[in-house]
Amino acid sequence: MIDLDDRLRAVRELSRDAAEDLRARALSIDIDPDAMDDHYDSPVFAMVRQADTPPEYREDIASTPLLRVLDRGSCLENVVGLMELARGDVATLLACPAPGLAGVFVELLGSPAQKERFFTRMHGGRTWPFFAMTELGRGNDATAMETRLDPDGDGGRILTGNKCYIGNGARGSIGVVFGRTGRSALSIRAALVELPTDGWHGERLDMIGLRGAYISKLTFDDVRVPEDALLGAHLPVTRRGIWGAIKTFNHMRIRIAASAVGTALAMTEYVLEHRKTAPGGQLAQARAEAAKELVYEAAARIDRDPERGYLSSAAKLGALRMAVETAQWAHGALGPAGMIEHPLLEKWTRDVYAFEFMEGTGNIQRLHVARGYQAGDADG
Amino acid sequence: MSTSMLECEQTGREEGLAAGLAKVLTVAAVADTAPGPYAAVPVGDVPGGAAVRTHSLADIEGIVFVECPGERPRGTYHLVEIGRLLAAVRLGLLRRTLDLAVEHLTNRFAGEEALIRKQLIIGSVADVMAGVEMLRAYARSQQDPVTVADVHTQIDALGWQVAQMFGAAGYLADHPARALYVSALVAGTWIDKEGVKA
Repeated sequence: MIDLDDRLRAVRELSRDAAEDLRARALSIDIDPDAMDDHYDSPVFAMVRQADTPPEYREDIASTPLLRVLDRGSCLENVVGLMELARGDVATLLACPAPGLAGVFVELLGSPAQKERFFTRMHGGRTWPFFAMTELGRGNDATAMETRLDPDGDGGRILTGNKCYIGNGARGSIGVVFGRTGRSALSIRAALVELPTDGWHGERLDMIGLRGAYISKLTFDDVRVPEDALLGAHLPVTRRGIWGAIKTFNHMRIRIAASAVGTALAMTEYVLEHRKTAPGGQLAQARAEAAKELVYEAAARIDRDPERGYLSSAAKLGALRMAVETAQWAHGALGPAGMIEHPLLEKWTRDVYAFEFMEGTGNIQRLHVARGYQAGDADG
Repeated sequence: MSTSMLECEQTGREEGLAAGLAKVLTVAAVADTAPGPYAAVPVGDVPGGAAVRTHSLADIEGIVFVECPGERPRGTYHLVEIGRLLAAVRLGLLRRTLDLAVEHLTNRFAGEEALIRKQLIIGSVADVMAGVEMLRAYARSQQDPVTVADVHTQIDALGWQVAQMFGAAGYLADHPARALYVSALVAGTWIDKEGVKA
């Protein structure tokens, strides 16, 4: 069991307070993810944006108690805060114009100039980033991607291909796009792409849930990418593309697990608030609390050994299974037609299914867990 | 009773959720039978003047939620029958969606191999069909409200297993797997899960 120190307990409490703001916005964003005018100036959006940004690239705006206690170096700290925010609403958090997943990757692989370009573009909270790796039909195997980054004869590249299921893609202004520079295993590279640009097309996909994430498909048709937009040029060849993605995913996978647990806790708390004696309520809450402990432990292990993803995969599998079972329980917990009478709870029961497809499906996690077990990671 | 479980399963498989629900609801009047304040009905079967609530995904399936005011009946014979027939419709819908999933997995590859040939996938398809066979027998043989509710809880879990086979495509609102989610929403208005363990 992970004991949170005073600083992490402060992160947890301050994030819990912030979750109220997210929850209040959840239903309107679910109904119309395009209508963001009433949300841009959310104090929590500003706080998340600042927290996602390295201090040297932050905006000059008032700090907050949460920002003052953040250390930013710790996966556990991130998970503790995120889980509380997810109790507010994950889809609203993903609707927040903040660096997010793309920011993690740019921080890892970007040059100082690229970082400055990316993070300052987020200033003001009116622009979204995107992280475009997945392709239609290739979601199970990123290394088989078909998007190309061909030489343009002038030192730059020409980007051609399609990306699918990209959060905030169609409304993104700057993001990371992966493509092949050749056929070898080391030829997958990432480029910083600013939108809109000639040859680009983006379209939001209508999803069952998690609509605030603005999941989109993107088309790049001969889009010019300047030489200085390729990420990782200052790194060894083996660390310019997929290495960074895998390292990023090891962190992000545990964040998805935290999101699933936060949503499950939100569902159980909502049900018990409206019906204290709901059958199975105590059990649902106990299972969610247990998953929280597992996710904390997996995050602490990532902090100790960031390259080994065994426990984060196991945590994502277990947390998602628990969250889906909680959603299925919630469907009947407030009596017949409870989902029609409680639209926020109904929304969460749709949202949890999205976590299956983010940062590796259940079957991909099963493979990681089995490999990790055979490599001795379960006893490490 | 003129409507059989076999007919309901066939309708669910061949014509989908709304057609199956329409067949189920021929056994009793909605306003007299529904256990909660709202009941799912096909759009074409809404009683004149009745107040309805809509849901964006149910709209695509042609289903709305009719308001049923006043004290609601619990555990009646008709309600249990509706629960069993609705279970049959949902099993048919599950088969309909599984058929599509197998086609989808046959046309998707990891390396040179179709996903449908991967052991994890084969095992999942087999688990779903074993579950369908079990739940068909369960729904056919039991007439207690708690067991009927348990059948639906297990159908919810099987539905999720099928939806996952489509990957993220199954999470698109315009994908046929949407019907699995809506079928759980529909069942939630007709099935009283009081007494069912989490």
